[in-house]
Amino acid sequence: MSDKVKDKVKELLSSGKIKGFLGLCSRDGNIAPHLFVTEDELDNLVVGDKSAPGDSRYPLNRQLINLVRAYPDDTFGILVRGCDERGLAALASWNQINPNKIEMVGIACPQELAIACECLKPYPESFVDGEKCEGVTAETVARIDSLKVKERFDLWLNEFSKCIKCYGCRNICPMCFCNECSLENDELIRKGEIPPEIPTFHLTRAVHMAGRCIDCGLCSEACPADIPLRTLYKKVADIIYKQYNFRAGYDAGQKSPLNFLGGLPE
Amino acid sequence: MKQLLSFSGIEEERLHSKWISSAEGPEFAEEMRKFVENLRALGPSPLKDVNKGKKAA
Ligand code: SF4
Ligand code: SF4
Repeated sequence: MSDKVKDKVKELLSSGKIKGFLGLCSRDGNIAPHLFVTEDELDNLVVGDKSAPGDSRYPLNRQLINLVRAYPDDTFGILVRGCDERGLAALASWNQINPNKIEMVGIACPQELAIACECLKPYPESFVDGEKCEGVTAETVARIDSLKVKERFDLWLNEFSKCIKCYGCRNICPMCFCNECSLENDELIRKGEIPPEIPTFHLTRAVHMAGRCIDCGLCSEACPADIPLRTLYKKVADIIYKQYNFRAGYDAGQKSPLNFLGGLPE
Repeated sequence: MKQLLSFSGIEEERLHSKWISSAEGPEFAEEMRKFVENLRALGPSPLKDVNKGKKAA
């Protein structure tokens, strides 16, 4: 899938439109984020499909935030799937990035990945490779909804009990950009307990993802305890959608109803 | 918040919110009386013993 992406990036770099391209690079069989600044580096560019589509994704948007903070005057290119594009739209609405200084190079995910992710929109608005496939609704949420309250309690108690408080879910999340994190606030979550207080730790994070989670699923992938975090945040996103008719990142320019502080004047 | 609690298996009736002005003492008392009554009917929280006896990290 990477050839068309390479061609596009080559064009962007050679025309001087972008200073560098934040993508994924394969070296010695491993895939890692890389900032491509010259055309000859592009041989190693990949889109993150190692053994299966999208099995080697990274929160590139997280790195992009650091990059644009360090080089505010430069324009950068970035590899985006549907979720990454939603992430950039949401980050722009929270004034974390300037969308005019970002060139997205999109790829559409295959149906297989869309099903695994239960992704509502597995493609960005425009893409250079891949084909648009059907969005998928969340079976996992519907299944838990159909349980009795006691069964739901037991299910989450069992899941949350496995948490080793590694903060992996927060650290990988491209939408976690706060300087101070409530999860480390002693008044909210007592220090030194493993698993962290149930369900406070996980519901605190869930509430903070309301109107913010763009459903990339990286948290679930990162969790060493295999807690279905994404399902929990999908539910939160559904609640916000029902109440406010808003889904984070799906409509560029739209602000979260929970963005009380508003934005900087244009 | 109620909906999230319910999804997590905690009866949503355990959370109750209502706007009452500071001048409305009797209304507040009545709301609280009803809320406590509902909580009694629900019985002890399922979370009561969940976080007990945990080892410090
Ligand atoms: S799916 Fe997880 S990692 Fe991705 S934005 Fe939502 S909370 Fe963050
Ligand atoms: S990644 Fe999993 S184990 Fe680590 S803190 Fe998050 S929920 Fe807990």
